[in-house]
Order: sequence, then structure tokens, then C-alpha cells
Amino acid sequence: MSYNFKEMCWKDVRDQFRKWREDNERRSDEVIQLWEALLENHVQKTGNERHLILEQVLIAGFDTSRLDIAGKCIETLSIEFPESMRVMKFEAMRLEALQMYEEATDLLDEIISKDETNAAPRKRKIAILKARGMRSEAIKDLSEYLKTFMSDQEAWHELCGLYLAEGDYSKAVFCMEELLLHNPHSHLIHQRIAEIRYTMGGMENVEIARIYYSQALKLNPNNLRALYGLYLCCSYITNSRALGSKRKEAQKMAQWALETAGVRTISSSKIPSNDKLVSSLECALGSLDIKSN
Amino acid sequence: MTELLIDPNIRVWVFLPIVLITFFVGVIRHYVSVLISSQKKAEITQIQDSQAMIRARLLRENGKYLTPHSFAMRKNFFNHEETGYFKTQKRAPVAQNSTAMLTDMVKGNFINVLPMVIIGGWINWMFSGFVTTKVPFPLTLRFKPMLQRGVELASLDAAWVSSASWYFLNVFGLRSIYTLVLGENNQADQTQAQADAMTGAAMTMPQDPKAAFKAEWEALEITEYHSALKNVEKDMLHHAFGSDVSIENSIRQ
Repeated sequence: MSYNFKEMCWKDVRDQFRKWREDNERRSDEVIQLWEALLENHVQKTGNERHLILEQVLIAGFDTSRLDIAGKCIETLSIEFPESMRVMKFEAMRLEALQMYEEATDLLDEIISKDETNAAPRKRKIAILKARGMRSEAIKDLSEYLKTFMSDQEAWHELCGLYLAEGDYSKAVFCMEELLLHNPHSHLIHQRIAEIRYTMGGMENVEIARIYYSQALKLNPNNLRALYGLYLCCSYITNSRALGSKRKEAQKMAQWALETAGVRTISSSKIPSNDKLVSSLECALGSLDIKSN
Repeated sequence: MTELLIDPNIRVWVFLPIVLITFFVGVIRHYVSVLISSQKKAEITQIQDSQAMIRARLLRENGKYLTPHSFAMRKNFFNHEETGYFKTQKRAPVAQNSTAMLTDMVKGNFINVLPMVIIGGWINWMFSGFVTTKVPFPLTLRFKPMLQRGVELASLDAAWVSSASWYFLNVFGLRSIYTLVLGENNQADQTQAQADAMTGAAMTMPQDPKAAFKAEWEALEITEYHSALKNVEKDMLHHAFGSDVSIENSIRQ
């Protein structure tokens, strides 16, 4: 999305920034563009909101590697709040962006020693480990962190991602379940648990995956991914050595899922000749199946 | 009864000064308390405890969405006889007379009680005995002690307000003006602070983690696992794809 800079005044930009902050949207490119074009010269007029805007802009600066802007923002903030831990954290992030990881870690350690209840610098340290590719260390530190800050959803999510990258699925499931306890009505979390369970394989896990896919579908009937997942689980059960009745049921369920998925795809697809493409793809996949058998 | 006429000088030298004094004392109180109040620092163990409690509560409430195995695993983490979290974490009960709490109390008294006594006393002494204003509606005799403190005249109409009572009306009535001037959550309002001190005495006292752990342990101990996902496939076909009951039947055959 591009903005017509000439028609906007700095007040519009301020309102737009506020909206993005409230909705947790990063929009880093736009933030930097609007900042340079309009808001930079008027930031003094925004009163106390100025600090929040500066923070937003400096994060966007890191995202778009405009370290000059980020540096300026940090400087302004640190003149106003000398000794502030929050500004120190941003300084550490700047070092991080410059890949001066050792210095950044030292700075973060200093913040933690001053205020050991501050969660943000601990998380930054783990982010540094992740950025350096030291995944097992990151996992170790993050588990240590979660022993204290047990209900930090963000951290559980991150740990889940790290375990998935390591291929340690059972632990990843544990982290995801922890998120489920926090948001039991999120279909995406159910879907993710089901995906991990399905990836783990084995009869028991696939059965569980089937349940969670169903729950995801119940919460959001438009979740095509969960529908396809349900199909995969059911066809796995059909081809397994389960009881005959169970296999029959699973087969019907699989058929239903596939049909529904097909209808959904055709009805919501924006590609004009989609059904032809799908059928040709099905042909291709079918021949692939025969070969792999 | 003939109508009373009040000297305009009373308006300039009693009525308005009382309003201004109470207002500015409130503003000063706000800034002094901001200046000397210390930011409450939470201990890391406190954070850990509260987060553990949240997690245990969530497990009780939403545990039904987990698999039986995952639920048992988490319950064990908290409640296992020997290694459970609630069993092994020994927290010292919070010391009642720690210095931090004592200084907080002294500070609270300093900014709440002292000005109230001193300013109130001073106003009483300085502006005593004036009839300052009249409420624009008739009142019964019962209101006399409330509105005419310091002026004990039996024949005076109850609608007249004495200077001391005017001061108290100001103390209690300026809250919305403080919100306007100083923003929400200001420290200027004495009555708010006093209400807190009276009702919130038990609440502000730090919770004893040992008792809280025990309560949570008990609650979790009696929580039984009931899977919420038992009939989920049926529900899903019913709710999400409601029109397709025949499909369900055909699948179940």
C-alpha cells in the first residue's frame, strides 16, 4: 500500500501510527517512509505520545536496516531518559543489528543485574542466541526462563518453534498445549497441535491429530488446511491395521473431507480455470503415488 | 424571618480562599506523593509464584482440551507428592514489619493524614464563624450539623452553609476537578486515599504464598479430567456443517 504523501498532514500520520500500534502491526516500510516524509519534523508537537512514536520508528528502523534513523531515535530518547532500562534495551538491539552480539549480551546482562524481574532483556538474550544459530543453547536458556515466567505465551510459542526446528516433536507438542490452555478457542492452535501430532506419526498420534483437526474445524469451518489434515488422518487410519469398522468409518470420513474440501476450493478460488488445474494436478499426484508404491 | 444579607467581603476573603486553598493543597499533595512514593518492586519469586498460579488455574479450567496423558503430566508437575511444584516450593511467609512496608506507611501518613489535620485545623481557626453561602433549596433541620459546623445558631435557616462545612464540601467535592486537571489516578483526592486505607487494609497486605499454594493445590487435586473432545467429530459435523446430518449418518453406518 502506498500513501499519497501530499494529501496527508502530520496529524494523519500520527493517527495512522497510533492505529498500527494498537493493532500490533509492524508495517516497518510504511512507518519509515511516512516518518521521513512527514512526521520527523513535527514529532515535537505530539506531546507525550512522542516517545511511543520514537520507539515504533526505531523498531521499524531495525526492521528495514535503517540504522541511521534508529540511532537518532535512540539518541533522542536517551537524552530524555538517561539511565532508562528501556532505552538501554534499544541500545542493545542496535548492537544486535550491527552483529556486535558480545557487546549486546553484556549490556543486557547489565540490565538484568539491575532489575532481575525484567523479562524483556532475558528474551532479547535468547533472541541473540537464536540469531547466532546456537539453537540448543537458546532452548536451554528459554526453558530456564520459562521456569520463572511460566505463563509467558510468547515464550512458549517461540520454544515450540525451536523444538520443531530441532525435530523434537513431543516437546513441541507440549509447548503448543501450553498455548492451548491459554487460548482454548483458537482454531489455529488446535490445527498446529494436530499437525505436529500427525508429523510424529504412529496410530495413537494420528488419532489425536484427527480429534484436534476436528476441533479446529468445529471452531472455524472455513479452515481448509484442517479439512485437508482431517482427510490425511482418516486416510492414514483407513490404510492402517485398525479394526474393520473403524477403517470403514474413517474411509467415509476421508471421502467426505475430500469432497467438502473440493467444493470449498472451487467456490472460494479466484483463479478462473481452477478446477481444470486441480484435476491435472490430481492426475500428476496420482501417477506419483503409483510410482512410490 | 427576614432575609440575611452577606457582606461581599466574605465572598472575597472567605468563600473563594477556601476553594482555592483546598484545590491547591490537593495539587501539591499530588506532586509530593509522586515525588516521594517509591515504585513497588516485585520480587522475582513473587512473579514466579503468581505465574505458576495462573498456569495451574488455566490447567484446571482448560485442561479438558488436552489429551489425558498431557493433563496428567501437568497435574503431576504441580501436585506430585514428592516432586510437585506446590509441594517443593517453600516460601517464607511475608514479613509484616519489613522496613519497606514501614517506610511506605510513614509516607502514606505523611501525605494523607498530616495535611488533613493541619489544613483542616488551620481553616477552622482562620475562617471560623462565617456564614459563607446558601444552598438554593430549603433543607430540614437535620442538615444543620452537617452544613453549619462552627456556627451554632438555633434560629438560622438550615440552607445556610458555614465556612468549616464549606471546607469539607470542597474536600469531598473536588474529585472530578482533580481528574480534569491532573488526569486519572491522581493522588490529590484525600477521600479516595482514606477509603482505600479503610477498606483495602486487608487487600493491600501481600498474599501469603504458602496459603495460596495450598488452596491451588487442593483445587487442582480435586480436578478430574473430562475430555471436551470426546465427541468432537460428531459436534463438528453438526455445528459447522449443520445441514449435513445425513452425511454423519452415512458415515456412522
